[in-house]
Amino acid sequence: MRRLARIGAVVGLAAAAVFPLFPLYWMFISSVKSPAELSEIPPTWWPRELTFDAYTTVFDVVPFGSAMANSVLIAGVGTLSVLVTSIGAGYVFAKYRFRGRDALFWTLVGTMFLPPIVTLVPLYWMVSSLGLADSYLGVLLPWLANPFGIFLMRQFCLDVPDELIDAARVDGAGELRILWTVVVPLLRPAVVTLAVFAFVYYWNSFLWPLSVLQSDDKFPVVLALSQLLSYATSVRYQSVVMAGALVASIPTIVVFLLTQRVFIQNISRTGVK
Amino acid sequence: MTNVQHQRRGARGHRGAGTLLLSPALVITGAFVFVPIVLTAWISLHEWSMYTPMSEMRWLGLDNYEALWASGNFRSALWHTVVYALMVVGITLPLAFLLAMLLYFPSVRGRHVVRTILFATYVVPTIAVALVWGNLYAPGYGPLDQMVMALGLDSVGWISDPDVALFSIALFNVWQMLGYYTVLLIAGLTQVPAEVFEAARIDGAGWWRQTVSIIIPLLRPTLVFVAMIAVINSIQVFDPVYLLTQGGPSDATNVLTFEIQRTAFQFGLAGQASAMAMSLLLVLLVLAGTILAARRLRGTR
Amino acid sequence: MRVSRSRLLRLLAGGAAAVLLASAAGCGDDAGSGGGKQTVTFLTHWAPDQVKMLEDAAAVFETTHPNVDVQIRAVPFANLLSTLRTQGASPSGPTIASIYDLWLPELVRDAIAAPAPDAKAADLKANWPANLVEDVTKGGKAYGYPNEVDLYALNYNKKMFADAGIAAPPATWAELEADAAKLTKGDQQGFGVITSWPAGVVHPFLSLVASNGGQLLNGTTPQLTEPKVAAAADLYKRLVDAKSTVATMGQANANTTGPYLDNFVNGKTGMIIMANWWQGSLKQAMGDKYADVGVAPVPVGPSGTKSSAISYSWLTMVNAKAPQAKQDAAWEFLAWLNGPESGKNGSSAMADVLMSMGILPSRNSDLKAHEAALSDPFLKVYVEQLPNATPFPTVLGGEQMSQAIQKHVEDVVFGKATPAEAMKAAQDDAAAALQKANP
Repeated sequence: MRRLARIGAVVGLAAAAVFPLFPLYWMFISSVKSPAELSEIPPTWWPRELTFDAYTTVFDVVPFGSAMANSVLIAGVGTLSVLVTSIGAGYVFAKYRFRGRDALFWTLVGTMFLPPIVTLVPLYWMVSSLGLADSYLGVLLPWLANPFGIFLMRQFCLDVPDELIDAARVDGAGELRILWTVVVPLLRPAVVTLAVFAFVYYWNSFLWPLSVLQSDDKFPVVLALSQLLSYATSVRYQSVVMAGALVASIPTIVVFLLTQRVFIQNISRTGVK
Repeated sequence: MTNVQHQRRGARGHRGAGTLLLSPALVITGAFVFVPIVLTAWISLHEWSMYTPMSEMRWLGLDNYEALWASGNFRSALWHTVVYALMVVGITLPLAFLLAMLLYFPSVRGRHVVRTILFATYVVPTIAVALVWGNLYAPGYGPLDQMVMALGLDSVGWISDPDVALFSIALFNVWQMLGYYTVLLIAGLTQVPAEVFEAARIDGAGWWRQTVSIIIPLLRPTLVFVAMIAVINSIQVFDPVYLLTQGGPSDATNVLTFEIQRTAFQFGLAGQASAMAMSLLLVLLVLAGTILAARRLRGTR
Repeated sequence: MRVSRSRLLRLLAGGAAAVLLASAAGCGDDAGSGGGKQTVTFLTHWAPDQVKMLEDAAAVFETTHPNVDVQIRAVPFANLLSTLRTQGASPSGPTIASIYDLWLPELVRDAIAAPAPDAKAADLKANWPANLVEDVTKGGKAYGYPNEVDLYALNYNKKMFADAGIAAPPATWAELEADAAKLTKGDQQGFGVITSWPAGVVHPFLSLVASNGGQLLNGTTPQLTEPKVAAAADLYKRLVDAKSTVATMGQANANTTGPYLDNFVNGKTGMIIMANWWQGSLKQAMGDKYADVGVAPVPVGPSGTKSSAISYSWLTMVNAKAPQAKQDAAWEFLAWLNGPESGKNGSSAMADVLMSMGILPSRNSDLKAHEAALSDPFLKVYVEQLPNATPFPTVLGGEQMSQAIQKHVEDVVFGKATPAEAMKAAQDDAAAALQKANP
């Protein structure tokens, strides 16, 4: 009986590992098949011959390299900004008392419910009226603060003992100094967690950059990928599209794997409280 | 109460800092979330193709809202969104719970690896994986249909058959989000005191009884939280529909977000689309209000 | 330790501020309406090979027009209209856009499409077939250069026909049904119907309707419940019931490829009604097996007298919101691109691009210049059918009408509604869409 349960657990875990990996596996083998093999019916489960041509082609047909750099810039600046705005707001919501604080907090967090499509039209109109269409600033500006980030930081700030802050105040430290030298160091796991979350969020965002950006030299990699889609009408480029998809996914996967222990542990705490 | 006094006294001195820390988030959210909502409400009272300046919109009053109720598309899109959310929650929650139990309890080697793999799908760009899922779902010759047919079953059709297409889109969401939800539930399990499990085992409670009568009730807050996140996430579903099915076949995957996008950007009826968006917002507010009220009610009991 | 951390954070914050400023400065943009170099952006949905050809043509143009810089921007077909909608009205939006003729009425109504200058309008009138000039003319003014013309025909797999012992492609609906039944076995379907893509559903359906003597619109009133129209829905129903059409095999994705193409390419679909532009896709995907592809006119229905396929066209328009100097440069470029000097052997560069995809060009001199290529067995049938074609009506609300019809035709194909119910519903939805757009 014991043994049976154990076998069941192992089988379950194996299935749990295969299910997420299979599409990624398929992405990979599709990118290394020859065009002829790729359009075969039924498909081959392992390429008869491996060809990595698609990986060089993808950098030729669209400016994939500079698109990666653009994504790093956009995701990097966006992440820093979300950290700054979230730590500030989270700290105030956790440690300050003022009238309407909780109502304000929940209103802000409530905007998490809002599907972005709902405000896409006026948002585009506003940003282009500001003269920011087709600029990085236009891509970034509306999303420099993030309700989930504020929520996360407030939860973690609640754990910071009041005594530490009070002691620093008695010592005559200014509020900003307290935040930087006392609170933020204690928030380190949360900062890492939010940074990864924000980086992934910015890296993967599609609809907004698609609406705002016009010149392809400013495109982040997700848009370069959607540009590649128009190439998918041609059979010759289908493996190229898959190669592009894989290359575009690598940075977020790497960032995640590097931080996964801290990230998983802390992102999960949002649900417990 | 001394604490409050201290805070009050402090508040005067810290008010400046507090304002400074809070205002970036407030200004950004106010300007780019709340102002657009007001503008959406304003647009919803007009006819506008987006090709012309906003100042030249034609006033319609509440006509767009009236037209919504007459439109079968809006009602069916709303219905598809509800069904989709129910499917996502219905599949994900039990599956995530099962996986959480599996990953939390047995001391099988490699479970951290499994947890990491499960979660990794969450960070891959949707557009990248949607492309692959399009191939996986190909009718008849796609790998998924090949597997099904190898078992001697009929081709499923996945996203090509209106009866299964919405389910297939939901399955894609399950693939993306399952790891996240599982991790949340594992965290919930770690909050359950070990003595509870110990006591149950000594009691001789079977695995099933232990799960149903002890673990699930203790895990309830986390389960509710996960369900809520899954619902939010479901209502916002857009990318997979846009990339995989364009709302088809036979409008079977035409969820509300896609109907809004299509109405505004393809049909050039931004006013109508905004009326849909405002109606969706209203539904969400009612939903949130109900949840809050329910929680408060439970709290007072 | 703590000091260094705070210093690090300060450094990071400073870095963020610097980058923000830099990106703000970077967008100090080039609306550039001054007298200097004019940058003209050309929005299209073409594939990379065609984009490359267009870029090469632009480079040639720039040698004689050093003050003009033409930049090509390609977006996927599925994003073309939404890109135009969000960015069209902004002065920094695309200067030239390649558009589907169905979109033109709205662009004209909202003054996004600029009327052609007189000289260019005269050029159009003199050198293009009258029905195409008519297509791009609204309220007496021409709005752009027609380029690609597409129409539908029956494509079939000769090898499958031979295997099933069928000598010639079907000329009537009755033959179509009989042949489809013979071609259906195992995982093969006799007749493919496309789903999930508005034009791919509606155009072949209406081609059958037109070949049955029916028409979609009378003015702005849909005619979907007329017997000659509804008969096509009945035909679909019979094909599905006989299992000659397997609905799930016809799925198209957002890039207008997918299973419907794969199944035909791999000999799983015996016949399909498709437009000439997919010749390029067939050649690439089929390789040697492309020789198996046969083409025949759309089969004639019981109430029809002759085959008539739906046709539509694409055109390039100039953005009326762009600064005048840019507009002028754009018209110059378009006149050259569509003129006889820009391409090879008297063809326009545009026609060379189109022919590389198997798409029919429209300028009279281009049809002549490519005469040899147009007598290719695949294209020949399409060219012959062009005079009998029924243009898809370009009316305000056309896109919404089209998608309404799409849904209800798919309902028939998937057995969600009887043909009568579906056509009644399609009639109501299409009428509502047109009425809303044309009050």
